[in-house]
Amino acid sequence: MTPFHILQVAPEVIDRVPGAYAHFVLPFCVGIVFCICWLGVGLVRVLANLSSSDRKALLLSLINPKTLWKDIKDIFCDCLLHLKIWQRKPLLGYMHSAIAFGWFLIIILGHLEVWLFAPRHLYLDNGALFYPIFYRYFIWVNPEHTTLRGSLFFFLMDLCLLYILSGIGLAIFKRFRSRLLGMKHTTKPSLMDRVALFSLWGIFPLRLLAESFTADLAGGSFLTLPANALLRFLFGNNLYYLPWWWAYSVCLGLFFVSLPFSRYMHILTEPLLILLRNAGIKVRHPRKGYAEAEIYACSSCGLCIDACPMNVQKKNLRFSSVYFIRFLRRHNEKKINRIADKCLQCGKCLALCPVGVDSPAIRRRQRAAYNDVLPFDYSPLKAPAPQGAVPGKVMYFAGCMSHLTPRIIKAVLEVFREAGEDFVFADENGGLCCGRPLLLAGKDRAAKTVIEANRKMIMESGCSTLVLSCPICLKVFKEEYKLQGIEVLHYTEYMDRLVAQERLTLKKGEGSYVYHDPCELGRGCGIYDAPRRLVGSVGELRKAEKEGDESVCCGGSLGSLTLSYEDRKKITAGALDNLLANHPDRIVTACPLCLKTFSDASSDVPVVDIAELVADSITRT
Amino acid sequence: MMDFGFYLTPSSTIELDKVDRKAVDDLARADSGFRTCIACGSCTASCTAGVFAETSVRRAILSVLNGRDEKAMDLLSSCMLCGKCMMVCPRGINTRHLILSLQKYYNGK
Amino acid sequence: MAKNIIVIGGGPAGLEASARLDALGYNVFLVEKETRLGGHLARWDRLFPEGVPAAPVLEKLVSGTGNTKVMLESEVLSLSRLGKSFRISLTSGVSVIADAVLMTTGFDLFDASKKEEYGYGIYDHVVTNADIEGYFRTGKDPRIGSPERIGLVHCVGSRDEKAGCRNCSKVCCATAVKQACELKAKFPSATVYCFYMDLRMFGRGYEDLYLKAQKEYGIRFIRGRVSEVSEKIDKTLQVKAEDTLSSTPLKVSLDLLVLMAGMRPSEAGAKVGKMIRLGTGDDGYFNTSDGFTGMQATSVPGLFVAGASTGPKTLPDTLSEARAASALIHEYLRES
Repeated sequence: MTPFHILQVAPEVIDRVPGAYAHFVLPFCVGIVFCICWLGVGLVRVLANLSSSDRKALLLSLINPKTLWKDIKDIFCDCLLHLKIWQRKPLLGYMHSAIAFGWFLIIILGHLEVWLFAPRHLYLDNGALFYPIFYRYFIWVNPEHTTLRGSLFFFLMDLCLLYILSGIGLAIFKRFRSRLLGMKHTTKPSLMDRVALFSLWGIFPLRLLAESFTADLAGGSFLTLPANALLRFLFGNNLYYLPWWWAYSVCLGLFFVSLPFSRYMHILTEPLLILLRNAGIKVRHPRKGYAEAEIYACSSCGLCIDACPMNVQKKNLRFSSVYFIRFLRRHNEKKINRIADKCLQCGKCLALCPVGVDSPAIRRRQRAAYNDVLPFDYSPLKAPAPQGAVPGKVMYFAGCMSHLTPRIIKAVLEVFREAGEDFVFADENGGLCCGRPLLLAGKDRAAKTVIEANRKMIMESGCSTLVLSCPICLKVFKEEYKLQGIEVLHYTEYMDRLVAQERLTLKKGEGSYVYHDPCELGRGCGIYDAPRRLVGSVGELRKAEKEGDESVCCGGSLGSLTLSYEDRKKITAGALDNLLANHPDRIVTACPLCLKTFSDASSDVPVVDIAELVADSITRT
Repeated sequence: MMDFGFYLTPSSTIELDKVDRKAVDDLARADSGFRTCIACGSCTASCTAGVFAETSVRRAILSVLNGRDEKAMDLLSSCMLCGKCMMVCPRGINTRHLILSLQKYYNGK
Repeated sequence: MAKNIIVIGGGPAGLEASARLDALGYNVFLVEKETRLGGHLARWDRLFPEGVPAAPVLEKLVSGTGNTKVMLESEVLSLSRLGKSFRISLTSGVSVIADAVLMTTGFDLFDASKKEEYGYGIYDHVVTNADIEGYFRTGKDPRIGSPERIGLVHCVGSRDEKAGCRNCSKVCCATAVKQACELKAKFPSATVYCFYMDLRMFGRGYEDLYLKAQKEYGIRFIRGRVSEVSEKIDKTLQVKAEDTLSSTPLKVSLDLLVLMAGMRPSEAGAKVGKMIRLGTGDDGYFNTSDGFTGMQATSVPGLFVAGASTGPKTLPDTLSEARAASALIHEYLRES
């Protein structure tokens, strides 16, 4: 029962409708109840499919003030304000935040208004489910008691509505002219997407109409009052407001019923994904648990389509992450496998994804579902000990690929010698693979064996620092090896440090360079600045069209299992175009695979490695 | 044929008549590299695992064509999928895909 | 009045065609971008299969050109049709109206540094086939020294999708065997290895060369493509290949590695071809009007081709084509 002290309605408003109920609220109520039930079941499914350790991590993260604060901050910035989209495409960011944040505000303000002026309707038995939504229908403003706070709310509600409507306007515009908002390709909506989309478009214009019809009774502001006057002028004094309230409610109901089957599901699932991610949970199964949260958090926005380097060829559009997620949702196993195997694992779709769906990781899980059972026998493999123990020394591990680009090895060794470094070359006569290519192929058990063998060799050597020339190795050494007490560095970081410590002095030359961020070094390990500092200290550093976390994969990646050599060549050509936008004299990179791929394909502009540049620019005293 | 007991050990002759041609066709459909290899040996020479154990994509392909699938599987069991063979192959064969296709096809058979 | 013919490219094909057309009484203009005539032949020391010196052959070709107007250091600025004739202007400022054009733009040698794993330009003792010819002509090359162990790698940039060239360059096998013998003769105590994928000794006398290499020079032929080269601290080279015949990985230390760089369509020639819309195949070589009976004709009337601009050719092939083209041009001009 409603407590007595809040039965008193504030003097500003009068309950216009006895019983605070009208039939038109039904569609909305059905929709919202259905949606909440569906979400509840989904939530239970996701949680049930998490491993017990993951569930524990989630629980701990929710009681830890630090992660909790991060959760709140991330949900606010990502789900409501959409700051990530703002940063890359401001107009698109405005559109998203207008709809999300505007809607959020209008719900909060609506409830606040009810709490202030008709608090008893916040109780379930008094229509709490629908009353705040259709508040303007149920009340009469008391002309005797106009107050400042009342008008303020009228004003704020109209302002929010205008804010949302501007976003909706942009959204409608975008549907027809996506290029103008910075997108070349966008996704084709499914049937349910369309239902949800059209009802979403309809909700707020209808709300404006419905509230305008009743603005003279229930109050309004700069938007609804003039609209009310206009309607009066058009229809005379017979205001047919009920159909509009019905339409508004039906639209809302339709939206909520179609929501779980449409791309707009992300509005509700994204916060869950943020909680799981901040708890440090990783994807373990391509379909269940964390992956399911990701699959339903995908907004199907299609930003990943333009991001994907394979899409220099139109036929590859269907391998984009957005379609991968869509097929996962539909359990289309054949297509899922084909898309999972094709991916280059460059990680650009993840870097650009506004929701942060790690589809490269899901693809690796999908590969593992088939490839982890494949046989392997590494019993003959023993990592060679690098000339016994080398306590405190720097160990250089070139990796498989560097042995195919001797100029990198030669230059790195030269820099070591010039800097007077006491070092040992671990795999001079060949070594084991780092394990990353196996992980990329989904042969997880095999990878573990290789990693263990290498790890043993490195730990037993007693070295203090491990310098790597291949970013593919670097990523796995950093993430999987757990080399306690040993610092793992890419040679660009190491050389950058030598320069900072003045153990190496470089002289600046005439040439201009563009730096290509290797996927595994940039997006993979977050190393963007050290290589640029090195290049900048030996010559003029020019910008590529897209760089940093938007850099374009060279096409040589080991990530793809099925991409043909012909298709790779097209990707390489696209990546070269991107690099040569500002006409540099030379292309510089920091990965043996990128170096080899680009130097095969670049006919006019020479391709060099940073190590070579550094070795050639040392001022010898 | 009457068995006179001369066949104590299996013959070492490659008997093309006994090759499972369907298997070869299936594999070639999965990866055309089974047909396009020119046996230059680059893959074997650059193989990371080859330093430790007998590993050869070239010979594995040949073994498949000669109907010796067990030998083919053996020759690739130490493979670490490092991709060097893919980089050096003059025919542009996607060796990693070829290896995985072979292992998928014969695994459990 | 005698009709004008422009021959673009002053290599063996251009020289031979100029000589024949000049003898037929035409006004021949021979355009060459370099400072001297002869193309790749001028950089070569001896020719397979018998190892005859290249210089007298070139001399004979040049002296045969008679009244041909040779324009050195001239590149084609523009080439277009003008009714039935052609208008050509050169970087030297000369413009000519010609009744027929013959493209003898030849080939470029593959840039061996593109094969990263062989370390050309990185390691001290890695050279190319052209470098070896230069060494034999001039007697100087600091990279060569006095090697005890020498390796020759066939098919560098040929039969290699990664190097963007699927086809066989035709002449490298014979060149490699020839150079192997020459190197053995020069450094008698050296061991010489040839790393090949397939030995394509197809011409008259080529198999004799192969036999001589085995019997007289003791060249060791290894059927396997070199996949990796590394350099030791003493600058010796460690080479990895598979001996495919014994199905075993192989490594060997070498003091000199010679890369048999293959043929590429000439870049300068491709530029000229584009001006006159002469089509090319996927391999970049010019298309001829017919692969059997129209090897010297093109889709453009009055425009003819000869030599390695339509695919890898040996020197005798090239010279025959030049003569064939001359006869065809003569026929064309007499009819028009």
